[in-house]
Amino acid sequence: MTNRRLSAFLDAVAAGRRPRHFEADPEDEAILRTAMTLRAGRPGDANPDEQFVSDLYEKLADQASSQVVPIGRPGKARRGRATLAAVAAGVVLVGGTVVGTEAFTQVTVTPAAVQAPQAKTVRTGTFETSDGRVMGQIVAYQGNPSWVFMNVNGSDYNGPIVCKLQVANGSTVAVGAFELHGGTGEFSRNIQVDIARLRGAKLVTSSGTVVASSTFA
Amino acid sequence: MFPAPRPSPDSASPHPLSGEDHVAYLRVVSADAYTDWESVYRDNIDRLYRLMYARVGNRPDAEDLTSEVFRTALGPLNMALSKGEVRAYLLVTARTVLASHWRRRLGLPITSIDPDADASYLVEPSGQEQPSRAPQRAGRILAALPDRYRRILELRFLEACSIKEAALTMDVSVSNAKVLQHRALRMAAEVEVEMES
Repeated sequence: MTNRRLSAFLDAVAAGRRPRHFEADPEDEAILRTAMTLRAGRPGDANPDEQFVSDLYEKLADQASSQVVPIGRPGKARRGRATLAAVAAGVVLVGGTVVGTEAFTQVTVTPAAVQAPQAKTVRTGTFETSDGRVMGQIVAYQGNPSWVFMNVNGSDYNGPIVCKLQVANGSTVAVGAFELHGGTGEFSRNIQVDIARLRGAKLVTSSGTVVASSTFA
Repeated sequence: MFPAPRPSPDSASPHPLSGEDHVAYLRVVSADAYTDWESVYRDNIDRLYRLMYARVGNRPDAEDLTSEVFRTALGPLNMALSKGEVRAYLLVTARTVLASHWRRRLGLPITSIDPDADASYLVEPSGQEQPSRAPQRAGRILAALPDRYRRILELRFLEACSIKEAALTMDVSVSNAKVLQHRALRMAAEVEVEMES
């Protein structure tokens, strides 16, 4: 059965079709990877279709037009919150680039009407499950105020989840709870912890099960 | 041109350029920054698609995953970042999206994206004319194989022959062609591992 499914999968790969789901045997992992490599090497297939590029642009334009907090024009009452949210997003972006622990010093573009907090230190980590699957990222940011941000994607778990930060002295600080919908969720909060002393983070269900953990780089 | 927002009365930290009531603010734009999401999209769509295609080997999946990366990444995107930072963010998002894809499809991380090692995918010149590196990589693997192994894989994965067509071309039975393909893939996988080490 597995061989038939493997053959069917390879047939789809060879023909450039979308392969169907099946539970692959770890022994076949290398074969499947090489089949991808060879198929990707077929001349002329590597560039995107113009219609796809155009259609996706239209979809993203619709998505962008539905956003309610344009950068640079925050509403009066929510101005500070919107500013921080924008900065938070920026720090998350930078977090993706900083594998080490230091060196987020300045951004290159700043809306002058919005005073961005000066980030002094950013620490990042990748949430992984106990079997090593990547499940999201976390960014902790030292500033005034200090913040922590995280996103989770592709979890098997749905429901409320608590984020706990581990400090260098071994203590654990619960920074808040958020909800995973369809295995996906985001969370941000300002914290009163010295970012430099953080060791890691855990995402824990209400029953105490650890869904994923991360060690800060 | 960027809009010039007016300060709100309760604004905590405006930087007015004049003392008038209606004050315009300037936004300093680095030459190494994107101005809007459209520029992020246009500059990276080809590159990101090529990377995804190299990882999944088929157009439908590459399109879906590329779409997912942009839908996920552009929402919280802050334009106050350098191009390099934005691309790094796209790569981190792409890594997560691809990992989820393989978990759903096969339950194994068949291929992955390393934001450091794969950074060159997003810094090489963009555009349709940019050649992919995938053909060279496939060529190096095939070149290391015995003739019959190389031929069956060329027929199947580069020339998109069905197993029947490949068997006919090589003058073997369909069963033999399947066995040949399996053995050839095993050896090719070993070659690929050696290339990476």
